[in-house]
Amino acid sequence: MRRWRLGILGLLAPAGLLLGVLFVYPLLNMASLSVRSKFPGAFTYTGEHYAKFVTEPYFLQVTQTTFTLAIVVTILTIVLGYPVAYYFVRGHSRRKHLIFLCIISPLLVSIVVRTIGWTIVLGNEGLVNNFLRALGATREPWPLMNNFWSVTVGLVHVLLPFMILSIASVLGKIDPALEESAAVLGANPAWTFWRVTLPLSVQGIAAGSILVFCLTIGAYITPWWLGRGKVLLFSTTIYDQMLAIIDWPFGSAAAMMLVAATLVVATVYFTLLGRVGPR
Amino acid sequence: MSDRAERLLGWYVVGLLAFLALPIVVVFPAAFAPDPTLNFPPRGLSLRWFKNVVDQPQFLRAFYVSLYVAVVSTALALVAGTLAAFALVRHRFPGRQLLELLFVAPLVFPAIVYGVAMLMVLNPMRLQRTILGLCLAHVVITVPYVLRTVSATLHGVSPTFEESAAILGANRWRTFWHVTLPLIRPGLIAGATFSLIISFDEFTVSLFLTGPGLMTLPLEIYNYTEFTIDPTIAAISTVLIALSVAIIVAIERFLGFEKHFQL
Repeated sequence: MRRWRLGILGLLAPAGLLLGVLFVYPLLNMASLSVRSKFPGAFTYTGEHYAKFVTEPYFLQVTQTTFTLAIVVTILTIVLGYPVAYYFVRGHSRRKHLIFLCIISPLLVSIVVRTIGWTIVLGNEGLVNNFLRALGATREPWPLMNNFWSVTVGLVHVLLPFMILSIASVLGKIDPALEESAAVLGANPAWTFWRVTLPLSVQGIAAGSILVFCLTIGAYITPWWLGRGKVLLFSTTIYDQMLAIIDWPFGSAAAMMLVAATLVVATVYFTLLGRVGPR
Repeated sequence: MSDRAERLLGWYVVGLLAFLALPIVVVFPAAFAPDPTLNFPPRGLSLRWFKNVVDQPQFLRAFYVSLYVAVVSTALALVAGTLAAFALVRHRFPGRQLLELLFVAPLVFPAIVYGVAMLMVLNPMRLQRTILGLCLAHVVITVPYVLRTVSATLHGVSPTFEESAAILGANRWRTFWHVTLPLIRPGLIAGATFSLIISFDEFTVSLFLTGPGLMTLPLEIYNYTEFTIDPTIAAISTVLIALSVAIIVAIERFLGFEKHFQL
């Protein structure tokens, strides 16, 4: 018995050490820096950085934009992705294999490449604007880049595969007999979907949402590239504080706020879902 | 689903897949355009931007850095992740769920926060802007991917094979080497592929750990665009997409995608 325990410990040691030293410790270190008056040098413990963050209108604005963006992206990926997941699991297409490949392939293409792609599509000399000009619909290029919606499009594109895979994995576990029973008992397809399929797949939507939400508020490259200083987010602010202004304690406090906000949202979300999920 | 509903849904799916493909497909023609602006459709054909990529040594240097970091961190993640997956799937012990949570936490943890936290640990140790520092951070990011793919495969392998080997007199090490390891090979390959790609593509965390003298390829491209946005970046992108396609085709041929790439 003792030898077994040692064996398990040995198996867990490399990953445990790695994550303990390189993940947990840096986060604890960050938490401690966030309550120091200054760094480096002598310091006193203080909550001033947190106070600054929650009182200055600029940071409130940044927080609001970040969360609006995360919510919009999450909703869009659910609405756009659910039908694809449904078709993939329940459809009779013989090309399912190809569909799966098309969904997962963008994940294997560099994010930097994909944002460059969106620049080519949305830029002033890009696909959309040249198309509109050819149609004679416009003379001046439409400013499609560097705003909230270009960032949204870019993030939806990056995160959609995650949502589709999350929903599909849960949909795939639902016994089709349940839907057939509902139909036999007289429910029309829409009602069956609404009362049987959708509630049973809520867990997939939940898992996908958390993933998409967290990845959105932590994202830097897509918002930076497609927003170019016009869309100020939590992540761009943290970057500025850390590398441009070099205020580590305040940057740490901002990062801690981001983590806290994420945790709160995840908790609230799962509590709410617990109420509407399958009973 | 009625036939009509399914057909409608099918068209929707085609449309959505087109959306997913759009920003990737447009890169090719843009890379071969002769004008110095990123435009679409292009007004001619030229290879000058590819030449421009080759003429700038920093891109090749950054490519080697990225490759090195990806290979080293994947190797470490494979060892740590596989051993941990083995413990988590095959054994029951107190604190198991908590550890499972810890091991996959970097997957959903805001990358920007992790980058900041690593910067503040590595900088005082003089490990910021070193290849070692980059590798260490990338191991943490890639371990969850290995853990998940290997766990998934391990769940599908009945422990009876391992038990039989033990009954037949193999010690634990031989059992692992000759029975378990070959059985979980697809999971290992999938995990390694994911890990290599995630590391090679990593941007946000590396942003805090690189600097003049040490750049990964995504960051080198990003730096280039701070001064100029021309089809050079489309040309690099074309090369990177070609690499991705080669990897996708290879996995598809040798493994089959669906079985092993459930996130």
